[in-house]
Amino acid sequence: MTRTRFLLAATVLATLPFLSCSKSEDEGKLSVGFLLKSKGNQYFVTCEKGARAAAEELDIDLRVDGPISADPAKQNEIVENWITDGLDVIVAACENKDSISTALRKAQEAGIKVVTYDADAQSDVRSFFANQATAKGIGEKLIDTTAELIGGEGEYAIITGTLTSANLNEWIAHLKERQAAEYPAMKLLDVRPCDDNKDKAQQEATNLLSAHPNLKAIISVCSPGVPGAAEAVKQAGKSGDVKVVGLGLPSENRAYVKEGVTQAVILWSPEDLGYLAVQAGVALKKGELEKGAESFTVGKLGELKIEGDSIILATPMTFTKENIDDFDF
Amino acid sequence: MPFGMMKGTWWKIDLAQHEVVLLLVIVVEILLFQILGRNFLTGGNVSNVFRHSVEIGLLALAMTPVVLSGGIDLSVGSMVGLCAVVFGILVKSLGFDPWVAAALAIGCGAAGGWLNGVLVAGFKLPPLIVTLGTFSLFRGLAEALTKGSESYSGFSESFLALGNSEIAGIPIQALVFLPIAFLIWFLVHRTTYGRSLRVIGFAEEGAVYAGLPVKRNVGAAYMMAGAVAGLAAVILVARLGEARANAGTGYELLAITAVVLGGVSIFGGTGNVAGTLLGWIALAILNNGLTRISDYEIFGEKVSSVARELSGLLTGLLLLTALAMGIFTKMLAVRRARKQALPNPTSS
Repeated sequence: MTRTRFLLAATVLATLPFLSCSKSEDEGKLSVGFLLKSKGNQYFVTCEKGARAAAEELDIDLRVDGPISADPAKQNEIVENWITDGLDVIVAACENKDSISTALRKAQEAGIKVVTYDADAQSDVRSFFANQATAKGIGEKLIDTTAELIGGEGEYAIITGTLTSANLNEWIAHLKERQAAEYPAMKLLDVRPCDDNKDKAQQEATNLLSAHPNLKAIISVCSPGVPGAAEAVKQAGKSGDVKVVGLGLPSENRAYVKEGVTQAVILWSPEDLGYLAVQAGVALKKGELEKGAESFTVGKLGELKIEGDSIILATPMTFTKENIDDFDF
Repeated sequence: MPFGMMKGTWWKIDLAQHEVVLLLVIVVEILLFQILGRNFLTGGNVSNVFRHSVEIGLLALAMTPVVLSGGIDLSVGSMVGLCAVVFGILVKSLGFDPWVAAALAIGCGAAGGWLNGVLVAGFKLPPLIVTLGTFSLFRGLAEALTKGSESYSGFSESFLALGNSEIAGIPIQALVFLPIAFLIWFLVHRTTYGRSLRVIGFAEEGAVYAGLPVKRNVGAAYMMAGAVAGLAAVILVARLGEARANAGTGYELLAITAVVLGGVSIFGGTGNVAGTLLGWIALAILNNGLTRISDYEIFGEKVSSVARELSGLLTGLLLLTALAMGIFTKMLAVRRARKQALPNPTSS
């Protein structure tokens, strides 16, 4: 036993010289932490790409981290570790609004500038929210794309998540408003809920197709509805005759888009979102962006509008047969 | 030696060596992360290591008596979720004072633990099956209570301080953790209750014939595990500022890992609280240290946070290595004992 004890003491003593030295940071550079909701999600991997591009442009020290799968507790731990490291800026996509706010509040108290993107925290724990798209932008983009596909006239139907979903209803309201004003020859037949379920969406779409032989287009405002509607149109043998448009991830819809069943998938560019969020965080730290500003001009994105404390990332983008292979999220 | 139990038996040395091995592992970890990571050995980070793992530490401590008695409790992680939700409902929906609600949440944990105890000790059902059942039951109850989506937040500053404040650089949680650790150590190593658990773990039948209150003692171990899980839930909610049904998911396995890594035999009978604590510390340092080397440059190439992904892999390796070393040292000891022609170790 004395020998093991001696060995132990020797090892502990041997470690002591190392205890005082600490890893040196990149001197003089701003350090920014970029928090993902989860690392396994291609959407956030694409956000990260944009964040890295911004970091390169701004010559900052960017640290990217996130839970392996969405986990609010892990997000808090990452933020707390960053506070310990004394980062200058934290840019966060929040898995859970309330729990992350506890950690972000501490960060702000420690003098760290906080910007959120994709999913917001409580509004008092961050300076700005890089908002991917407004309800108006989404609704108008959906109806504009559809109108272009069917020549501005004919019957269409909408598949939504649930009839009580607040954000989806807001998008639909803007969509309807735009259609009434710009495309009076189009007619909305029905809004059907799919409970965020692909199979249910397929069933609803099948019902719509058989009930309305003159149906020209199906718009899905929820992501499971897009492949669901596409499958229904495909099985009914109406590929191309009935257009499918919707909000979703390119990866979920790639097969249908390439087959020509789904004409357009709409989403904002996650890469631009990551880019914008990091740019905003750094501008905030440098004092180039202040509370109350009405617009924010940023590198390749140009001038973006600020509503309240949300920086709006222009209009969503459209994925079609031609470009869908360029996106892997 | 606080580690050894019965003097002059061959496995005493084996156990002592296990702790030495663990200490060495911890030292190596600290060295490695200090060299490779950023700001690893700073006051703030040491406090983070503790704060981020204290819930697992509590569960591991409470798991130790259960495992010593030859049982296992898979339900503690789910219990954290249930107690967190109960706490949230009490404070936010029913307007309870957070400290009263905390006591009730711990009571809820104790009640759940009591249920485990009754099924395991009273009805003689296998602990693995019973707690697998309550693992689903408790989590399911938490999800039902919140309809799976509701969560509770906006707790008072004074309550959140429990999870987020420090006194002279020492996290407040430590003031809860240390007494609990001492209490469990005392129970296991300094009372007849602790000894009876070990006896039950070695030979339950024998313990029954020796007139030990097996049912009561085993039941109490599960009840204690439940109550401590309730406490862990309260601390977790105070740290995160939010109570939701998925709190503590997977914690039971991390706690069991710490216990087994600490040298407590999963078949019951042998092991000690100090080992559990060392196993927990080794895991806690590993988890934090890996996040410290995120975005590290290897051969001049910037690697984007490769480290965290290794956490599962390294935890597994650590556990398997520790187990293998345990068997190896045991074999060595047996061989040495034979060589020296000492009496066979069965005499213990």
